Amino acid sequence: MTDNRFDAVVIGAGHNGLTAAATLAQQGKSVCVLERADRIGGMSRSADLGGATLPEMAHLLYNLNPGVAKSLGLKIASRALPTVALCPAQQHVVIQGKTAQYANGDAHPDAAAYAALYQRLKTFAALLGQLAEGAPPALAGGMLNAKTLQEMMALGKLGLGLKRLGKVEMREFLRVILSNAYDLILDELSDGPLAGALAADAVRGAYAGPRSPGTVFSLMYRLGNGGDVTLPIGGMGAVAAAFADAATKQGVQIRTDVDIASLVIANDRVQGVLLSDGTTIHADAVLSSAGAMQTMQIAGIAHFDVEATRRMRHLRNKGTTAKVNLVLRNLPAFTGLTREQTAGRLLVAPSAVAVERAFNPAKYGGISKSPLIEAVIPTLTDTTLAPDGTHILSAIVSYVPHGLEGGWTDAARADLLDRVVQTLEAYAPGIGELITHSQVLSPADIETMTGAPGGHWHHAEMGIDQILTVRPANLMARYAFGVGGLYLCGASAHPGGDVMGAAGRNAAMQVIKDGVLR
Amino acid sequence: MVKVNHVPMGLIETPFHARLEPLSRAKSWTGWAGFISPLVLDTVEFEYFAIRNQTTLFDISPMHKYRVTGPDAAAVMNRLVTRDVTKIADGRVGYVMWCDEEGMLIDDGTLFRFSATDFRLCCQEPMLTWLLDTAWGFDAQVLDESDAIAGLSLQGPTSWSLLQDAGFAAAQNMKPFDWREVEPDIWISRTGFTGDLGYELWVPKAKALDLWDRLWAAGDHWGVRAIGFEALNLCRIEAGFVAAGVDFQPVHAVMRLHRGRTPIELGFGKMVHFDKGHFNGRRALLQHREAGARYTLAKIDIAGFKPANGALIYHRKKKEVGFVTSGVWSPTTKRNIALAELKAPYGIEIKDDLWAEIYVNEEGRWDKRLVPVTLQDKPFFINQRARATPPHPF
Repeated sequence: MTDNRFDAVVIGAGHNGLTAAATLAQQGKSVCVLERADRIGGMSRSADLGGATLPEMAHLLYNLNPGVAKSLGLKIASRALPTVALCPAQQHVVIQGKTAQYANGDAHPDAAAYAALYQRLKTFAALLGQLAEGAPPALAGGMLNAKTLQEMMALGKLGLGLKRLGKVEMREFLRVILSNAYDLILDELSDGPLAGALAADAVRGAYAGPRSPGTVFSLMYRLGNGGDVTLPIGGMGAVAAAFADAATKQGVQIRTDVDIASLVIANDRVQGVLLSDGTTIHADAVLSSAGAMQTMQIAGIAHFDVEATRRMRHLRNKGTTAKVNLVLRNLPAFTGLTREQTAGRLLVAPSAVAVERAFNPAKYGGISKSPLIEAVIPTLTDTTLAPDGTHILSAIVSYVPHGLEGGWTDAARADLLDRVVQTLEAYAPGIGELITHSQVLSPADIETMTGAPGGHWHHAEMGIDQILTVRPANLMARYAFGVGGLYLCGASAHPGGDVMGAAGRNAAMQVIKDGVLR
Repeated sequence: MVKVNHVPMGLIETPFHARLEPLSRAKSWTGWAGFISPLVLDTVEFEYFAIRNQTTLFDISPMHKYRVTGPDAAAVMNRLVTRDVTKIADGRVGYVMWCDEEGMLIDDGTLFRFSATDFRLCCQEPMLTWLLDTAWGFDAQVLDESDAIAGLSLQGPTSWSLLQDAGFAAAQNMKPFDWREVEPDIWISRTGFTGDLGYELWVPKAKALDLWDRLWAAGDHWGVRAIGFEALNLCRIEAGFVAAGVDFQPVHAVMRLHRGRTPIELGFGKMVHFDKGHFNGRRALLQHREAGARYTLAKIDIAGFKPANGALIYHRKKKEVGFVTSGVWSPTTKRNIALAELKAPYGIEIKDDLWAEIYVNEEGRWDKRLVPVTLQDKPFFINQRARATPPHPF
């Protein structure tokens, strides 16, 4: 079949892989995307459970890159959701952008302090955001090198932006950028659900507590593109479909159920991909949205320097996020919330201290009795997702260790489900009675289903030692991955995870820039 | 007897120490990889001339020795070193170098090939963790044999005669870099660090003293002497061999930037086989080859007879362009010889008008001399007897 020669092959049909493919296709390149699973979408896909369409893994859009959305012409209908910080004493706090008030309409005593903190973080985040728009600077060429000068200009822009903040704010930025979210938040707010919500947002998906250094950075990262949290209409699968549509419209071929045996490499250059069925797909470039270590293994460890392998082996990627999906025969009644508020992003993170404490057991392979939950009932916003009257509740449970002591058995999954339901019962009494179907995905399950290393939704922890010029690791931060023509284009590359697409686009642009394709 | 219930401290005796101790008149010992090793046993002069005229025993047990075995052993070794180990036959030894990801030399050593699935690497620097990292992901095991295997270097023109008298006639047709098990548990390689006829003998630690006694007993007629490091060092400079930590800095052991050197810069470009597939540092070395050498390690002949160790080298007596890394008066060639690192283009394109600045102390008075330097292409000491197979009897 002549169909087996392309300019580029992309491994993995998650949003980053699809973005990379579409971006290359826009530049007139022929591209084929190979997906191991039987469906596209990676972590942003829908699943069917008891007749309902639920967001199997990711359930909200945080950081969809506006540049990516625009250049791909992505049409994703989505609705912004308020955040509801649930309070055990029913003093729930509703947060919308910079405003925070009690669910009953009363003013929150920390509202002004919160608004100021939010505004500041958002300003800082916007400054950092521009760094996500391209490959991280290498600055390797010396000051007389045109490339380096270009990078210096970009950094200069960051510096200028910092200067423009004024002396006080610039100092503040430099003071907090590497510090921990816990101190930052509690310097401004009293501890409670509002502080807990911020603390939880700073660490979701991370193997870190709010007292861990670098969590201010991850909080800013979350606010990088404005901090809006939106629910996609039509389910998470619609997001994946939009990415796929954008790609296919550009002529990208997407093949699912494809098992890659190895890469074809000759003279230190990628020649294509060898499938398990013996087919060879020829390409001048291979972009992998698989994890960094998996990519190395697919290519063959022998093609990499020992130091590079060592760095990939030691990447921090302990996934801490589980997914619990529930189908409910009725809408659960959350005490003290209106129907509209119940449709929001419901956070169980009663205080910053509680968030930190919930992390503790995870360090030792255990799960907190009071797990941290981000829940959403998408059927309140999009009624088409489930049969009449029934609802789905999608919960992201933090601090659930990949390496659970005793392993991820069915009993362990049942136990996690039980903990989640017990925790929700405190806010929505009787919710347990409503469950008709349930699905529990441990980080280990997520790893099996998507290939994400450690089940980590960023593929590699977004720590200060694994971002920007050192993401995924030193000397491999500019998408090119050792062998000529091999590139990383997934969450383990700069700027990292979330349903964002920036890593995919940046990688594709780097391939073009490097002149790998004829 | 005092009962010791802590980890032994200080230097450790090698398996041959019981024989070396009584032979030591000089009582001049040094630490070598944690072991007690003789610098000189009698006098440097006696020992040096024994290497060149008779035969000598030098204890090389402190060398680090690693065994790499398994189906992927050859792939691991090929990933490690710059030369193609598939071209080293079973029962052969290869001189090898290995680099970090920047193409900078980590260490050099000798690679003994039992088979495609079984290798022993002998080197100066501790290398276990590096080998484990290199073998990660491959079907191969790495074993540190440093403490289990004793090594004895038998060097000098009458070495073969001694071996024959000691009952090792099986070694007669061994070519340079051959190695074989001549008797159960006794392996002999025709290798050495002197540039002369010589062998290295490898036995399990427990059989070390038996081997020593057997060689010693056969050696009187052949003028055998036990020697220390200093005499050996004279010979290795004469032979033009480089020493880790002296002529190059093992890159894992340095703290300062830019102390690393590529094998090409050290004059071993022929040992970098770019066509064998990927090996550690290959991409960086290609870039270095493209950019050209930054330095060269040159063999130089220095006027006069004052050893020039550490001397700075100047161009036109003015511009500092390098320094001597190893410099000795060579008793055999009667020349003042050295290895010197020169900054490119000196030593590569610019070879004339080079001068060494030598400090000499004449009975308490220091004096400085600028003496001319001449570059040499070949090792200072080359003798046909080192390669003759079968070796000549003397």
